[in-house]
Amino acid sequence: MADLVNVVTVGILLGGIYALVSVGLNLIFGVIRIVNFAQGEFVMLGMYGAYAGYAFLRLDPYVSLLVLLPLFFLFGAVVQRLLLAPLRNEPSMQIFATFGLLMLIENVVLALTRGTAYSVPSPVSQAGIGLFGIQVGVVRLIALAAATAAAVGLGLFLRNTMPGRAIRAVAQDRAAATLMGVDVERIYMITFGIGTALAGLAGCLLAPIYSLSPQIGTSFILPAFAVVVLGGLGSVLGAYVGGFVVGLTEALAGYYLDPALKYAVIFGVFVLVLIVRPSGLFGKVGAEEVGLRDQS
Amino acid sequence: MITRRLAGPAAALFAVLAMPALAQQPLRIGVVNPFTGPLALYGDEMTRGYEIAAEQANAKGGVLGRQIVLVRGSATNPQEAIAAVEQLVGRDKVELLSGTYVTAISNAGSEAALNNSKLYWETNALAKDLTDRGLPNFLRSGPDSNSFARRSVEGVLQLVQPRLAKPAKDLKIWIEHEDSAFGTSIAKEQERLLKEAGITPTLSSHSARAVDLSDAILRAKNANPDLWLSTGYVIDHNLLLRTAREQSFRPPAMMLVGTGDTFETLEAVGKEFLNGILLVSYPRTDVGESYGPGATAFLKAYQAKYSRDPIAPQAMSAYVGFKIMLEAVAAARSTEYEKVVAAAAAMDKPLGSYETGYGVKFDKTMQNVRALPLVAQWQDGTVRAVFPAEAIPQGGKVFDLGRR
Repeated sequence: MADLVNVVTVGILLGGIYALVSVGLNLIFGVIRIVNFAQGEFVMLGMYGAYAGYAFLRLDPYVSLLVLLPLFFLFGAVVQRLLLAPLRNEPSMQIFATFGLLMLIENVVLALTRGTAYSVPSPVSQAGIGLFGIQVGVVRLIALAAATAAAVGLGLFLRNTMPGRAIRAVAQDRAAATLMGVDVERIYMITFGIGTALAGLAGCLLAPIYSLSPQIGTSFILPAFAVVVLGGLGSVLGAYVGGFVVGLTEALAGYYLDPALKYAVIFGVFVLVLIVRPSGLFGKVGAEEVGLRDQS
Repeated sequence: MITRRLAGPAAALFAVLAMPALAQQPLRIGVVNPFTGPLALYGDEMTRGYEIAAEQANAKGGVLGRQIVLVRGSATNPQEAIAAVEQLVGRDKVELLSGTYVTAISNAGSEAALNNSKLYWETNALAKDLTDRGLPNFLRSGPDSNSFARRSVEGVLQLVQPRLAKPAKDLKIWIEHEDSAFGTSIAKEQERLLKEAGITPTLSSHSARAVDLSDAILRAKNANPDLWLSTGYVIDHNLLLRTAREQSFRPPAMMLVGTGDTFETLEAVGKEFLNGILLVSYPRTDVGESYGPGATAFLKAYQAKYSRDPIAPQAMSAYVGFKIMLEAVAAARSTEYEKVVAAAAAMDKPLGSYETGYGVKFDKTMQNVRALPLVAQWQDGTVRAVFPAEAIPQGGKVFDLGRR
């Protein structure tokens, strides 16, 4: 029983990491209707941003956040305006463009770092809490709390603010939103900026857990796709809950079956969900297609 | 008819006349390694070993009376390895090829070299399969994966077991390995050797690209082993060790094979947790002079040329491998692969002949059986050789295996 509780705890904490990485990805899909393959690279850049903050200014990654989040918002807005907006009438090309961006970012970081595995120290990175024989790393708890705060904060923003309502309006019906006076291009830019900032947030918070490598973004993006499909494409709540579903599945399969099989199990579930319910657990039917969509 | 009769002597005369001209030309050697991408750090580091060896040889007049020029060919995967070899041979006119940090690159690169009738001298890539292929242009001067497995098991039986004071049948060993050919081949050989010694280990594998390895650590922790023996790459070893620290998994002994001995792991995990952890790796520059004569001189040459300490021990192994290659070329008086391989096969040097403690004796697959890794240990943030005893530098000793 103690084993099960320990594994479930590990799964929930891992779910927090996946949720953190996936919320921004799902927001971008829900509004702009593109699968952003470069989202994992934005997470990776967040990690290297935290490293740069430490290496040059001796900043703790949790302090670097204050500087990096606005920078990532701006970076996302610029990427949307310069790369994606010109392809607005060619959705397939937008997807290829994000893939090109993935390769560009990864290879630039490779060239700069030459593959050295950097680490970002933080006073809390070695701290752990033991309770009834269960060990929990403080950095993972912080990531879980941040994922929850990001999901709740984003939900409140989308429901209770004018920009949030405008984003939802664009997500539901781009044409109707335009007729109501919403500047759709501006909303796209803001949404991509928010999604990128969320990736930067994830990168900063995960930096004390991992050794940094230029490929680490790709390692995150594959489970993140499973998360958004399971949770529901375009649903913030779905990304949050989907993170825990994938995290728990991975932890249980890895512990009770075989660590080498855990990704096979996750993507087995992924394929099953695509067959049975293409819109995911919290997505509305048709959400996976371009068209009407409500943000939850 | 007359033409045919004269062709042989004419060719011989041409060869004789051409010899002085050839001696004037530099000997171009292609270096196949990942110089971009995630493994560039180690591709560069190995090549520094070659550069020092070439520079020292040139200072003594080169080889075959020719100055050595290294030409880099960057390859991060098998496809690029083939292209790099084609380019090095076709465009850069190299006469020999050497490498490689990655087995898959060596595999493809050496086959491409054979297609171009060039020697491929391997100094570092580990997989035993490379020499088992029996390619006539391929040999390996450094240790293979089996020698890493063998050395790790020697370390278990001669270093760990006596300190844990447990009979073999009671010794619980957890073998963790990344699931590619590199980790799997070493783990399987470790399992075989341990079973021969009366120990039945438990095997578990993981993906080196996994985002989370808590399951691997929790499974090991649940088994309560006396020794946790792991083979992996830098990133997954760092994540495993960080997770072990987080989960308070501190078995009586831990041993890492292949990686875990560089500043990257020290920065990621911290010296407190690393203290006492054993490492099976290439011989380092701190080995005693009686074990690796000239290791200190190599360190000084490296520091003088690059203004810092070696990043990883692969450099010295590459340096020694390159030196052995030049000796074989000199003995063969040729760069033709058949002659160089034959000259290498005739070499017989005892252990302790080179800076790494290597000797030279190639087996029938052209694997140097006198190239052995060492067991080292993290001691207060520094890696020190601890096994075999003759490799321990003066004043060195084995820390407690128990985590301090």
